[in-house]
Amino acid sequence: MNESEIVSRVKKAAGFVLKIDPEQISDDANFVFDLGADSKQSVQLVGALEEEFGVSLDEDKALAVQDIDSCVKFVAQYL
Amino acid sequence: MPPSHIKTREQLDPIFNPTSVAVVGATSTAGTVPYDIFANLMRDKFQGMIFPVSPGNRSIDGVKTYKYVKDIEDPVDLAILVFPNTVCSRALEQCGQKGIKGAIVISAGFKETGPEGIEREKQLKAIADQYGISFIGPNCLGVINTDPSVRLDASFARAMPDEGPIGFLSQSGALCTAVLDYARSKHIGFSKFVSFGNKADISEIDLLYYLKDDPKTQVILIYLEEISDGKALMQAARDIISETGKPILALKSGRTSQGAAAAASHTGSLAGSDNVCDAALKQAGIIRCKTIDEMFHIAMAMAYQPLPRGNRVAIVTNAGGPGVLTTDAAIEEGLELANFSEETTEKFKRALPKTANIHNPVDVIGDARADRYNAAVTAVLADDNVDGALVILTPQSMTDIEQIADEISALGHQSDKPVYASFMGEADVASGIDILLRRHIPHYTVPEAMCRSFARALKFRQECESPATPAAPYTDFSHAKAQAALGQASGDGRNLLRPEEISAVLTAYGLPLVRDRVAASADEAAKWASELGFPVVMKVMSDQITHKVDVGGVVLNIESAGEARSAYDRIMANAAKNCPNATVRGVLVQRMMKGGEEVILGIKRDPSFGAVVMFGLGGTFVEIFKDVSFRVAPIDPAEVHKMIRQIRAYPILNGARGRVCRDLAAVEDCIQRLTCLALDCPEIKELDLNPLFVFEEGKGCYVGDARIMI
Repeated sequence: MNESEIVSRVKKAAGFVLKIDPEQISDDANFVFDLGADSKQSVQLVGALEEEFGVSLDEDKALAVQDIDSCVKFVAQYL
Repeated sequence: MPPSHIKTREQLDPIFNPTSVAVVGATSTAGTVPYDIFANLMRDKFQGMIFPVSPGNRSIDGVKTYKYVKDIEDPVDLAILVFPNTVCSRALEQCGQKGIKGAIVISAGFKETGPEGIEREKQLKAIADQYGISFIGPNCLGVINTDPSVRLDASFARAMPDEGPIGFLSQSGALCTAVLDYARSKHIGFSKFVSFGNKADISEIDLLYYLKDDPKTQVILIYLEEISDGKALMQAARDIISETGKPILALKSGRTSQGAAAAASHTGSLAGSDNVCDAALKQAGIIRCKTIDEMFHIAMAMAYQPLPRGNRVAIVTNAGGPGVLTTDAAIEEGLELANFSEETTEKFKRALPKTANIHNPVDVIGDARADRYNAAVTAVLADDNVDGALVILTPQSMTDIEQIADEISALGHQSDKPVYASFMGEADVASGIDILLRRHIPHYTVPEAMCRSFARALKFRQECESPATPAAPYTDFSHAKAQAALGQASGDGRNLLRPEEISAVLTAYGLPLVRDRVAASADEAAKWASELGFPVVMKVMSDQITHKVDVGGVVLNIESAGEARSAYDRIMANAAKNCPNATVRGVLVQRMMKGGEEVILGIKRDPSFGAVVMFGLGGTFVEIFKDVSFRVAPIDPAEVHKMIRQIRAYPILNGARGRVCRDLAAVEDCIQRLTCLALDCPEIKELDLNPLFVFEEGKGCYVGDARIMI
């Protein structure tokens, strides 16, 4: 899977959980500051990413990820 | 004038009196801090504009939201940051770009959590400084201003308190919610209510100065866990009390003896951080309370009733036993039962039944109703011999509790003398208590608390009215000589001064020393002893031996040359046996002072308050009796006078049971000189003058032994 596909699928998962059009999400968007994720949504996002990519993520490390860019790099480690 | 680094009113007004507020990081999820802060502002009818900043919501409770604070078109005075800690810096930066000058950072996860949090907090402070933002927090409950023209509830407390004259500052957010709940049940109102959290920018000192000039605040309460700048706190308290007469009540937690454990001198050991804190708060005029109950007991008295002019109280009761209990409590607190005038006694005779006790405590008898209470309380308040009324009630079958509460409340507000009440009981008297509290008559479940509050309010007034005493002028010091001796020790890498260096330092500051010489042999000891005059005392001299008595290094009452020789040999033998590794430089032969009372004077450095001076009953048992008093330097001469009279053993020094009165003026002079030494020579970490022999009046005092650590 190439990086642009990961970016696209991370945005899709984030858009689904945060109810935002993935097209409106920038690559450097911060989940909390720019996209308004609260703590419950952050946990939901981890689940959505696991489902999207078919992997099992380290939840503590996943919750420490702040933005789309970092999230793409983080997910890539599991692929 | 407050010190120049203190935040100005203009800097803090955007936080307390904003006309527009942005809740940065608001959410729509009820029961969360970001939502509840927004909801409280709405519910409590904030009188300005509210802008929720919430990138995940288009609106919250029907109010339009903004993705970023910079998107708000209108000017914003105050930003309340409720974002997770990881993005608070970004949010504060945008606030700065928007021109916002006041912020409250509610979010936790900063200094209190460790190194990462410390870095985050530093970052916040740097951004605030860059943009000229003043902020409260982080890690706090928030801020409340009950002023009807503002009605700012920028907190996640459950309810906004009533408006009132009390300003409350707290380092603990959780305590704030407990206090709010407690106060609500007692109808106690607040002017400003501030949880200041980690005080990364705005400190308790800034807030104290703000409340000093706040016309809505008449009494200041503060809860502290640590005092980072004790000297500034003392100065702020002095400024507030002297300029405005507003009392300050403090609840200080964290009583610890860790500092004492590491101390090397008697003063160091006795001057534990809490002892020093206690003394410093008192010295600054702050009323220290041990419990929340006590704090509000005294606050109610001071906020809602006039301060007593004197200690003569009238007790009015419908029950003999509680009257006696109140009498006992009053006397124990230093109050007196007023002697009623003849006119008052006549009024009692006319209004009360023959069985009533018309002397103090006035017993209006168990079947008394409101008319009898009214007559008795009215009469005592009109009596020039009475400084305040303490009203006791126990519920009998015919007692019209609510009516009596009504009458007392009315009388309490008509008089310029304080009226406090104690309706004793629980269920039956509850409705009466509620009336009293609603109408701001201080109520106490037990008379002891009532009398204590009266006494504390009176003491505050007396302290406010006592004139300041000018510092004694001292010009006979030789700072250079003291510095030379201190420099000698530090140059040698020693932290303990030798006897000859101690003599030089103390002499340079005019402290009276007992004559002494150093002997290097038994024969020399005999020679010096004969020259100084018997009796003499001999002491081992070694840099390694701190407590000489403990190792057999001191011999007292030496009456002849022969005894001096054998004492020398004994001291050297004891030192060799008990401290084999110590280098003994000789034996000090000193004229032994007889007939003097032994006291101790000392200096210690406190990390928060600076130089602290101790006075107490001295000798070898000083750490057992712990009968000592402390003051923070510089010390007002009136405080020097008080610190001597504060110890339990003071009567021993003042001629108790046929003893001679000691020369306390000479001791006061020594304390003043020692204070100057402490202030002039900050390299002195600890100092003991123990014993200081105090002779009868006019005959002075002399330093028997001293220890100085640098």
